[in-house]
Amino acid sequence: MLNLRQSSIARKLTGITLLVSGTALLSACLAFFAYDQYTFREDLVRNLAAQAQIIGSNSVSAIMFNDPQTATSTLSALSNQPDIIAAGILTADGRVFAHYSRHPGESFAWNPHGGGEQLYEFRTDELLVRQPIIFQGRHVGTVYIRSDLKERTHRLERYGAIAAAVLLLSLLAALAVSSNFRRSVAAPIVELADTARLVSQEKNYSVRVASTGRRDEVDVLIDAFNNMLAQIQERDYELQQAHDELEARVEERTRQLMAANRELEAFSYSVSHDLRGPLEIINGFSHILLVDRGRELDSYSRDCVQQINAATRRMSELIDDLLNLSRVSSANMHREKVDLTRMAKEIADQLCRREPSRRVEFLIHDCPPVQGDTRLLHIALENLLRNAWKYTSHHEQACIEFGCENRRGRTVYFVRDDGAGFDPQLTDRLFKPFQRLHTTSEFPGTGIGLATVQRIISRHGGEIWAQGAVERGATFYFSLA
Amino acid sequence: MSAEDDCSLPNRFMAARTATPTPMRARFAAAVVLLLALPYAAAQDNKPTQYDVEAVYLYNFAKFVTWPQTGPQRGPFTICVFGEDPIAPILDRTIAGETLDGRPVVDRKVSTLEQLPACSILYISASQAKQVGRVLAVVQGLPVLTVSDMPGFLAGGGIIQFVLLDNRVRFEVNLQPTQRDGLALSSELLKVALNVKEIGSGR
Repeated sequence: MLNLRQSSIARKLTGITLLVSGTALLSACLAFFAYDQYTFREDLVRNLAAQAQIIGSNSVSAIMFNDPQTATSTLSALSNQPDIIAAGILTADGRVFAHYSRHPGESFAWNPHGGGEQLYEFRTDELLVRQPIIFQGRHVGTVYIRSDLKERTHRLERYGAIAAAVLLLSLLAALAVSSNFRRSVAAPIVELADTARLVSQEKNYSVRVASTGRRDEVDVLIDAFNNMLAQIQERDYELQQAHDELEARVEERTRQLMAANRELEAFSYSVSHDLRGPLEIINGFSHILLVDRGRELDSYSRDCVQQINAATRRMSELIDDLLNLSRVSSANMHREKVDLTRMAKEIADQLCRREPSRRVEFLIHDCPPVQGDTRLLHIALENLLRNAWKYTSHHEQACIEFGCENRRGRTVYFVRDDGAGFDPQLTDRLFKPFQRLHTTSEFPGTGIGLATVQRIISRHGGEIWAQGAVERGATFYFSLA
Repeated sequence: MSAEDDCSLPNRFMAARTATPTPMRARFAAAVVLLLALPYAAAQDNKPTQYDVEAVYLYNFAKFVTWPQTGPQRGPFTICVFGEDPIAPILDRTIAGETLDGRPVVDRKVSTLEQLPACSILYISASQAKQVGRVLAVVQGLPVLTVSDMPGFLAGGGIIQFVLLDNRVRFEVNLQPTQRDGLALSSELLKVALNVKEIGSGR
């Protein structure tokens, strides 16, 4: 929880208020100060000049009738002006006619030969004024006044004190205003920030910020924030609901699917298994008939029995393949390192040994090992090589190739032959069970082999595809994840 | 040095002629030197005499007194000296070339009573003490500023009387005749007067 006292926005608000008011006041004070000093100087000069003028015009007759006492008494009126250090009247030819000093011995003279024009001069702590006395257009004499600047110093001190007091008071006022500011502006924002953090940290969209009750921008912000939270909460809820619903549906479907699959597997297994029983009987009895009563049968009957025998053998293969397919689909996978090159060589050896009469050249390239289930991959590779062996059987000389190549960063294996090939337009039918592109009389088979291969490859997360043309051979590519 | 010691030098400067300040002052200073040097240099070691001071004052009075509009406005401003007096030649030099409100200032020695009404300032020589009553009677009611250094002049109806105090020339003023004569004496003048006889106080 943010403390209002520590909140940076509150501090900033206070700081800004203090800075603004302080700066404004200080500059106002300085400007006033400067102006006052300026006007004070002017006033002082004007004031002293006026005094000098009055003294001068009051002393004209005294000068003209040589009455220094009168002039002196006129000057002595300055004694009620404590700032004036000394004053004097000089005759037109520069002789001292009368003088006054605050304390004995203080001189008023500063520039007795300065001429008749009015003049003033500021020294560090004194102001000197010279005022010529003009009577009926004639320069009669000059009044000199020498004043100290204590008044100015006092004034400065007084102004300084007043300015300090005003500054202090207004800073206090600014503090008071800013604390009010803090309550009305910073506090709601701090609460908003707290809530926002709570929401982002705890993902709790149920919290709300209390309205300030004032119709200001902060309140609008709080309203908008609350609104946003409400929308997020609602959407969150809807999303959760949709998600839950979807999950439930998927679970339901999966359950249904698995049940159906299990049923299907059980069915196909039991069908294959149960079919085997009667087939064995047919096979056994036809065998007995051939072996035990073969001599008693005429050639036609024997031929029939032999046909029955061949059919049951084919049926048995079919059932084996079906069982194989269902086993491939459901068997557990044990992933390990598999050397497909060696596997291909072994299978090629077996094929050659089974039919040594055929002239088939095997080209088996070295390929990197893969991760996969040895048993399943053996079934797949055996199926592919056996297919190649089978579909080259009509050619006197054949070549079967196993290899691999790199295509866009992944290793693709292939089995290539130069046998009967297939119509490229029918490629998509190749991997469907029981779909055959050739008749059984042409090439024996059940049409389940490639379906089994595809099942194995896809269980390894890979892909299989084929290229070929009629009588131009076929190439089966596969990749493994 | 104190102001008392040297009397009327500034006053004399005052009286010296000037019209515009700066070049005037030079001329003025030269005039002062001449004034001082010529007649008195040998006799009185440069110190102005009583007559010097009185002559300057006589002219200065004109600046602190207002004459009624009915008086002679045209023509020169006339300062008359009644009777033989040492002041006459000094005054002659003092006011030479001076003007007052644009009017030239002239001095005139008078000896007959008929000449008196043409005067604006009338200096009556102490030598004419016997005639003073008649002279004052002639100018009574006329705007003539009467000045003299004879004792008892004010009591006789005169307006300004020079007195010597502590070796300094001062003056006393009698305001009683001024009201009737239509003369207005400036308070500045009265301020420096040694004594002022106010209107209404007994003769």
